[in-house]
Amino acid sequence: MPGKDFDRAGSNGLQLDVPSHKQANGHTERTISELARLYSYMRSRRGTYLLGGLFLLGTNSCALLIPWLMKLAVEGLQFPLKAPHSPAYYALLIIAAALLQGTIRIFSRTTLLHAARRIEFQLREELYAKLLALDLPYFSRERTGDILSRFTNDLTNVRMLMGFGVLNVINTVIIYVAALFLMVRLSPSLTAFAIIPFPLMILIVKRLSASMFRRSKRAQEELARLSSHVEENVSAATVVRAYCREDAQIEEFREVNGRYLESNMGMARLRGWMIPVMASAGAFGTLIVLFLGGSRVIAGTLTLGDFVAFNGYLAMLIWPTIVMGWILNLMQRGAASMSRLNHVLDASGTVTDPAEPAPVERLRGEIEFRNLAFSYGEEPFLADISLAIRPGMKVGIAGPVGSGKSSLVRLIPRLYPVADGQIFLDGIDVNRIPLVTLRNAIGFVPQESFLFSRSIGDNIGYGKEGAGAGEIATAARLASLENDVHRFPDGYDTLVGERGVTLSGGQKQRAAIARALLKDPAILILDDPLSAVDARTEEEILGSLAGYYGDRTVLIVSHRLSALRECDLILVLEAGRVVEQGSHDDLLAMDGRYAATWREQQLRAEIETF
Amino acid sequence: MHYGGIYEDEIVGKAYDRRLMGRFVGYLRPYRWLVAVTLILLPPMAAARLAQPYLLKIAIDNHIVKGEMEGLPLLAGWFILLILAESLFTYAQVWLLQYVGQKVMFDLRLALFSHVQRMPASFFDRTPTGSLVTRLTSDVEVLGEMFAAGIITIVGDIMVLAGIIGIMLWMNLKLSLITFSVLPLLVWVAFTFRRRMREAFRQVRARLANLNAFLAESIGGMAVVQLFNRQAREREEFTRLNAAYRDANLPVISWDAALYALVETLSSIAVGIIVWYGGGEILQGALTFGALVAFIQYIEKFFSPIRDLSAKYSVMQGAMAALERIFNLLDNDHLPSSKESPLPSGEGGRRPGEGPIERIQFRDVWFAYSGDDYVLKGFDLTIRRGETVALVGETGGGKTTVTRLLSRLYDTQRGSISFDDTDIRDIPLKTLRARIGVVLQDPYLFTGSIEFNISLGDENARRRVEEAARIVGADRFIRQLPNSYREEVRERGVNLSAGERQLISFARAVAFDPEILVLDEATASIDTASERLIQEGLRGLMAGRTSLVVAHRLSTIQDADRIVVIHRGEKMEEGSHQELLAKRGLYYRLYQLQFRD
Ligand SMILES: Nc1ncnc2c1ncn2[C@@H]1O[C@H](COP(=O)(O)OP(=O)(O)OP(=O)(O)O)[C@@H](O)[C@H]1O
Ligand SMILES: Nc1ncnc2c1ncn2[C@@H]1O[C@H](COP(=O)(O)OP(=O)(O)OP(=O)(O)O)[C@@H](O)[C@H]1O
Ligand SMILES: [Mg+2]
Ligand SMILES: [Mg+2]
Repeated sequence: MPGKDFDRAGSNGLQLDVPSHKQANGHTERTISELARLYSYMRSRRGTYLLGGLFLLGTNSCALLIPWLMKLAVEGLQFPLKAPHSPAYYALLIIAAALLQGTIRIFSRTTLLHAARRIEFQLREELYAKLLALDLPYFSRERTGDILSRFTNDLTNVRMLMGFGVLNVINTVIIYVAALFLMVRLSPSLTAFAIIPFPLMILIVKRLSASMFRRSKRAQEELARLSSHVEENVSAATVVRAYCREDAQIEEFREVNGRYLESNMGMARLRGWMIPVMASAGAFGTLIVLFLGGSRVIAGTLTLGDFVAFNGYLAMLIWPTIVMGWILNLMQRGAASMSRLNHVLDASGTVTDPAEPAPVERLRGEIEFRNLAFSYGEEPFLADISLAIRPGMKVGIAGPVGSGKSSLVRLIPRLYPVADGQIFLDGIDVNRIPLVTLRNAIGFVPQESFLFSRSIGDNIGYGKEGAGAGEIATAARLASLENDVHRFPDGYDTLVGERGVTLSGGQKQRAAIARALLKDPAILILDDPLSAVDARTEEEILGSLAGYYGDRTVLIVSHRLSALRECDLILVLEAGRVVEQGSHDDLLAMDGRYAATWREQQLRAEIETF
Repeated sequence: MHYGGIYEDEIVGKAYDRRLMGRFVGYLRPYRWLVAVTLILLPPMAAARLAQPYLLKIAIDNHIVKGEMEGLPLLAGWFILLILAESLFTYAQVWLLQYVGQKVMFDLRLALFSHVQRMPASFFDRTPTGSLVTRLTSDVEVLGEMFAAGIITIVGDIMVLAGIIGIMLWMNLKLSLITFSVLPLLVWVAFTFRRRMREAFRQVRARLANLNAFLAESIGGMAVVQLFNRQAREREEFTRLNAAYRDANLPVISWDAALYALVETLSSIAVGIIVWYGGGEILQGALTFGALVAFIQYIEKFFSPIRDLSAKYSVMQGAMAALERIFNLLDNDHLPSSKESPLPSGEGGRRPGEGPIERIQFRDVWFAYSGDDYVLKGFDLTIRRGETVALVGETGGGKTTVTRLLSRLYDTQRGSISFDDTDIRDIPLKTLRARIGVVLQDPYLFTGSIEFNISLGDENARRRVEEAARIVGADRFIRQLPNSYREEVRERGVNLSAGERQLISFARAVAFDPEILVLDEATASIDTASERLIQEGLRGLMAGRTSLVVAHRLSTIQDADRIVVIHRGEKMEEGSHQELLAKRGLYYRLYQLQFRD
């Protein structure tokens, strides 16, 4: 869009316009509903917009004043003797008006465009707040690059609409009203005829608009896809290099890039029509006036002077009309983008704070599953899980890959939605516990360690507001990370890179453990927490954890049964069901899968000693 | 935050601008004919537009005033023709401009993306994803704005301007000079504004990149944010970045508004001055009235392209700031480059890196990720063809680093790694990496089908997808999925369990059937029974294949020919399982711990 250069309506003297409110009604219902949210933003800033409108009125008035002053000055020069004032007088007036116009112009633009930036800010804040409230199922559906694109590219389109769009609409309306007023004064009937082509144009433009909306949306989607592709490629940098997929990635990118290009060209083809269509509206109006007005002049019902003046006004409508075409384009793009933003803003998470929260402050750590069932898609995955865990109990969870261990423990802090009446903490349905209370009570070490690109100290202290250096060091010691940190050049201030890329696998995992321990939770959930550490470190961590456990409830998932041995209760999952449960000795006595795995792990050790 | 540092723009000034522009024009080259057509279209377009009022004048003067309706329809016909012509020209011009703009953006994005593909792994340790994504999308989009603003037609504006200046000078030298007296002010303002605007725009681009970097990370770590109830704090940080971005934009708007208003005001002031001065001249009879009126009209025409230019000015400044960032990324390749072209054939007509590798040798390898924090210190290792060597040792000891150096994801600082006496730095990267199949410690899965994730779209690998999956025991769970191998994997494989992800990443390495297999904790998240299956499956595969296996669980390396214990970047022990046990050193202790029961 030819951005800023359209705001010049007032500057060439009077310029008048016709179509605006009619066309504002001409948008599809869709556009209106998508934009409804924006109206509320504008309403909350109506003072600013009103002020901006007044400034525009002011600057346009000055713009109209200058040609009039010039006319007076020129007339004065034409007949110097009859002139009431000297040329210098008019010159000064013109300069004064120009200065006034410029000053007000600055205010009009900054007021309105700053407002648009502020709305953009506010919208982005709301989008982010929404993201923070959305649940894991949402993030496992959406792509990061896509969300990023909404936050920047779509927001930009909306901002353009709120800034330049609004500014030019106001501008155009002012000029249009003024011109129409002048035209009607000259000849109401001729005015009616002159604007005949406009409804037609509106029809055409309306047609164009609808497909403009669709194509805009498609272009924005393609851009989001492109952004996702880049995001993924960068995240997968190591894999791409290790497998020499650079060229393949480039080819794929070329394709995505090409599709985006294509969708943009589709837009350009449409946009290309917008300007000529709008421009012809004015020109055809002129043609009609030429015939009708001309014959009236010949018939003597219209003076030649009025006819010429009328034509002059009509000509002045052409530019703002073209601007209207541009605004419509902006509007459709804004609406298409807004619909993508609405998609985020209206997304409803399935994990929400309870409407009627139970009055709990602290949880003791009692967990009960009652006939727990859970599914990712249609088919139930976890089923028939019933179990009571007393506070302070240590529970181990074992089971083959994909048996549902992580799925099970993820439900306790409600990372995924749980049906009512299935999980109880301290006898209260989890869905009735405020999320903050619930999650404060739980220390969670996810199977895949995620660290933020901050210092390692900040990462460990992540779960506790204002954690002191001492606490951080203690947590690091508990997780056997202290020695590693001491070896880092900046100690706890060492930055760890995105997702912790600059740490080794085991360091990341231990940082995640330390982070959870520092939180001092009533319930500690460790999802395969030692998969990336060596035997010595594992031993050390298990040792210090045993001291840390105290009366906390602990759930620990592990493939290494040695880590579960000391648990009060061990669950063995398979395909989403508990197939065995009991203490280590019970399970060995049961001689089932657990016992078989245990024996195999032992046997391997022995084979090697020979 | 540590980002941004690499992209500090230091060079400012005119020379730099010219270079920037010159380079950008290079991207226009392929479309120069289209650009030419766009420019050629300008005059007929203007003619069609300007002829309309002229026809109107004829209609009035020759027909309406004289009361002659005859001939008017003919004029109307011409009029319609002109409207159609103008529409057509405008359409063609808008479309062409867009076409060229979009094409150039396409090329730039592709150039950027291809460049990023050539960047070494270390680049990604320091560069936030969100910031790179911004560079490839938003920064390039800004250029689109420049095209849409009709930057190509600047040439036209300037030509019109020159023409008008010429006519004005010819008409009346004195009046012209007086009119132009406001110009130095304009030029001065434009230059001062340029520096500030550019600086402001740089801030805008940099802050947007920061904002996106934060956002991207935040989306990735949302589960952690929520688990630790950190929403409020994250929000605070986001608000800070968001506000910083907004505040960087506000001055840009003000500068732009000021420039715009100034041009507008100056044009009216010029008229005022002319009226003043010219008025006096007329009174003294030194100037004709007609000349003055004409002159005033020319002033209008004179300022019109200037207004156009000034409106494009800030769009230009924004685009230049974006271009700086784009070119900075494109120029960022002072990192260890790889020899893409193979060296001349060595003795025996064999090119380095071809033919079976008899021996992989690490010789006194020193390596630091940054500065002189050596992660590997004088590491030595020899792996012979067909051997399976296991790397064990404490976490953070440098095992993964060894595997990275082997595939040259990073380069050694001192010492060398060689394949049969050819330094791996002399082997083309592609050749080198194609021979090595790595199972990375952190598996990464793409959005796409399971099949794609195993084959990564490689033709040869595609044929082995199912076989590979069978070997690593992934086949079973894949077949249970509703769409089997066609099942869609979501971003990073979030809809699979960690073990399943690892199996797929394992299958990937197997499907590529590499000469050298590198397994970095490839079964860390896999249960014992599945692991046994993998080992059985791999036995055949590893026989005769050179492999380097990193493992914490000693049981997984029981088949290794040799075990190397690495501790804090140094090789502590080396030997077979039995030898090491007999040595009663580090390995023995590790072993004791793991199999106490
Ligand atoms: N990209 C990087 N940038 C900077 N430092 C790094 C990077 N990767 C690893 N390091 C550091 O180098 C050291 C060795 O790391 P490496 O990943 O090789 O260990 P490892 O033996 O594989 O450990 P683990 O068993 O935990 O995976 C660690 O101290 C780590 O912090
Ligand atoms: N977000 C998801 N959407 C759909 N399916 C999922 C999702 N997450 C996991 N699954 C599926 O649910 C099953 C159980 O996954 P889960 O992560 O609970 O396994 P697990 O027992 O933790 O396995 P592992 O030992 O590999 O960690 C797997 O088959 C997996 O494919
Ligand atoms: Mg799991
Ligand atoms: Mg490692």
